Amino acid sequence: MPSATVNNHRPSELLSRLASAEPEVKLRALREVKNQIIGNRTKKLSFIKLGAVPAVAGILADSADDVIDYNNNNCNVNNNINNILVQSAAALGSFACGFDAGVQAVLDAGAFPNLLRLLSNSNQKVVDAGARALRMIYQSKLVPKYDFLQQKNMEFLISLLNSENENVSGLGASIITHSCETSLEQKVLFDAGILRRLNSLLEGGSLSQRYSSLESLASIFKNNSELVSKFAGAEIERPLGSIIDLLKDRYPRTRLLACMCLIVIRNTSPHLLQDIGVKSKLIHILLELLDDPGQVGDEASFAFSSLIAQKEDLQKLALEANAIDKLHHHLQKGSLRPRRYEGILLALADMCSKLESCRSKFLSLQVLNLVTDALTDDSADVRTAACICLKSVTRSIKVCNVGNSFAVLVLIFNANIAYEMPIQNLSAGYFMNEMVVVPLVQLFLDPSTSVQVAALGAISNVVVDFTTHKCIFVQCGGMKQLVQLATSMESAVRSNALWALKNFVFLADNRLKEGVFSELTASLLSSLICDPEPSVQEQALALVRNLVDGCMNSVEFMFAEDGLILGAIGRQLQNASKAEIGIQGMYALCNVASGNEFHKEAVMHQLFPQMVDKNESFMINFLQSNDSQLRTATVWTIVNLTCPSSPGAFGRLVKLRNAGIVSQIKHMVNDPCVDVKFRVRTVLGQSMAFGDN
Amino acid sequence: MPVRVAESSAPSQVSGTNSGNTSPPACTLLSVGQAFSGTQNVSSLQKEEAWRVNVRIQGCDLEHGYLCGTMEALNVPMADTPIVVTFWEGEIVDTKNYTFYTGKWEASPEDDKRHWTKFPSFAPLLNQVEVDGGKSLDLSNYPYIFMRWKEQYFVNVGTDCGLTIAGFYYVCFSCSDGSINGFYYDPNSSPFQKLELKSTNEGRSGFSFSSYELQ
Repeated sequence: MPSATVNNHRPSELLSRLASAEPEVKLRALREVKNQIIGNRTKKLSFIKLGAVPAVAGILADSADDVIDYNNNNCNVNNNINNILVQSAAALGSFACGFDAGVQAVLDAGAFPNLLRLLSNSNQKVVDAGARALRMIYQSKLVPKYDFLQQKNMEFLISLLNSENENVSGLGASIITHSCETSLEQKVLFDAGILRRLNSLLEGGSLSQRYSSLESLASIFKNNSELVSKFAGAEIERPLGSIIDLLKDRYPRTRLLACMCLIVIRNTSPHLLQDIGVKSKLIHILLELLDDPGQVGDEASFAFSSLIAQKEDLQKLALEANAIDKLHHHLQKGSLRPRRYEGILLALADMCSKLESCRSKFLSLQVLNLVTDALTDDSADVRTAACICLKSVTRSIKVCNVGNSFAVLVLIFNANIAYEMPIQNLSAGYFMNEMVVVPLVQLFLDPSTSVQVAALGAISNVVVDFTTHKCIFVQCGGMKQLVQLATSMESAVRSNALWALKNFVFLADNRLKEGVFSELTASLLSSLICDPEPSVQEQALALVRNLVDGCMNSVEFMFAEDGLILGAIGRQLQNASKAEIGIQGMYALCNVASGNEFHKEAVMHQLFPQMVDKNESFMINFLQSNDSQLRTATVWTIVNLTCPSSPGAFGRLVKLRNAGIVSQIKHMVNDPCVDVKFRVRTVLGQSMAFGDN
Repeated sequence: MPVRVAESSAPSQVSGTNSGNTSPPACTLLSVGQAFSGTQNVSSLQKEEAWRVNVRIQGCDLEHGYLCGTMEALNVPMADTPIVVTFWEGEIVDTKNYTFYTGKWEASPEDDKRHWTKFPSFAPLLNQVEVDGGKSLDLSNYPYIFMRWKEQYFVNVGTDCGLTIAGFYYVCFSCSDGSINGFYYDPNSSPFQKLELKSTNEGRSGFSFSSYELQ
């Protein structure tokens, strides 16, 4: 169909027209700038580079001053000025709309206070244009926070919310959404009666007022259970009713925002909205909204995630509502926008985070193939989400019975080859195959740290493998890369790499452990035990604990390079900054102490390096710790050291007695922890075998 | 308020207002990686017979009363391989996720009581179990942990190996020494096949503990 050609001026030409002394020329130029940049980020950027924003901001400032000069003098002039104000405000709003570079340019040009001045203009069109522009600007986090704590600011905000002009009252709500973060700010707004006004906007306002007030209500309630309970109390007749009513609204965006607001309320005060009808309704609406082709559909999956995350009851309801089928269906469509792709993967991750029934469903639908495809997506957010999804599905050691039989066969498509494998133990080799492991290992070197960390998280679960498939991970270079990542500059990467290695060597055969150890080396491992980051120390100690478990020969790893590792453990235990470090370190020593005489004596040397002062023994602190796991690990070490069948047990018992440890143990016969109590009795029994009483 | 149960006394009944933990205690000897070995008596009227059995705990989720692992039966007659490995899943009787009543696997409350009472450590619990399956017992300080282990599949042989895993085990674990006693229940097999396992240290002079964590 033929269409009229639009004769657009070039940006540079338009800029010179903006500087024209002729109001008509200036006005037309402003209109054209605005029209050219609407919804076009490239155009916005090119105009910004040419300096258009300061030019438009200058026109706005001059014209705002002119309003004062010409006030009531000349009607035509005023009309021109007002038109210029409207168009310059609209152009500035367009620059800022959904584009942070535009917001920054508007702020840098000093236009913000002049836009605020427009709100007190006598002409309603000017007021409206100013409010619209400011609402767009307030969508960005680049705008400084509004200070609700200042009385005059609160008065101004209330005046905005009370305005008949929907853009002005909407601006008030946008300011709340933008700037209300702390519980103090939430309280100040609540005390000022803002909720009543927002509620009336919900019930009687326009569509855009409803959107804004739902968003601001959510920001006032977020994580503030005190305010939620006050609101849900007797403050208004049907406190949550007006929001619940909006779940049925004909506009998808209203339904989404009402869901999001109710989710915030529920997550803040879990005792509210327990009605199964409301819960199901939220699930169904959000799953339906996924079908929306626009932004609402993109955001629906994120809202769905926040609804079900960490909540088994809601995950179960969502499973019954076929959530996994629906999310799978959307994934199958392909060519998804990154935001939508990410949201769907994260929603699947939350669905599979706790329940085996959800994981079974995930596997039976063969969603796995689509998720592994996402591991190589161009968007880092999508790659991260795919890793998180895999991490969630692999968070299981349970047999996955799809259908009625454990021997159901699932087709896994790897390139063009389809092969069958039985679904058995989820981590027993099911995921330890090239289709999953190879792309995950490739992400170890991803330029984005968040992708790296997420990939390491997923592989940590995958490598807990009780079959003989661990070699696949070594063959694809995964093990060597984990060791490399253990030296990363990022502590989260180091910690997660060690976590994965710890899981990898759990119950592994000695040949595999030797491979890991020779790659790691005693010096690297001992330096990781002494890493500045406590989480890295903990994982390094847990890795050592697993390395020296199992075959007796594995204890020898501790004595490589003159016992470097053992010394590092001893030093770290002297200065353990948190219980978890003590627990892993003590279990590492406990496992060494389950070896031969030489091993037991080496542990004694770490526990009592000089025997300077019995009060200095960290063992006493550990035995007196509030953490029952730390007490348990410590008592187990003593059990191993004083095992009567070993020749040096008596000598060690004497040392322990001299250090005050036996007497401390005697105080623990009625330890509140059953596990500790029984180990204490074992120690005392062993001690009595040597005539101690 | 719940009263902690001393090992010498009967476990207390939990009052209706109790909100504390009444589940059995965590025990390091029943944690992931731990190994046990012993025998299962499969004697019949015709002959005395016992198979050597090794067990390894692979997974443990106390919050959901869940345990799983492998069971190896050695030198099983009829089997093609010297070791038959099965994967089993356990239900911990924690009064929250599971009670003493099985409610499935063809086990009636009478079958349950008949098996549980075979364990001397169950005696103090019987009265309350008869009332409500043990739902209101406080087992948080009880030195024994009761479980049901159900083999789910053969790991290294096919289903056509001539062996059956149709039944399940009533299991009693002692927190004090890590010993495990069990009775296999399958209406179609010899009754009360006894499983006796001891915690093993795999040639070490002491106890060793490894661990993994899922993220």
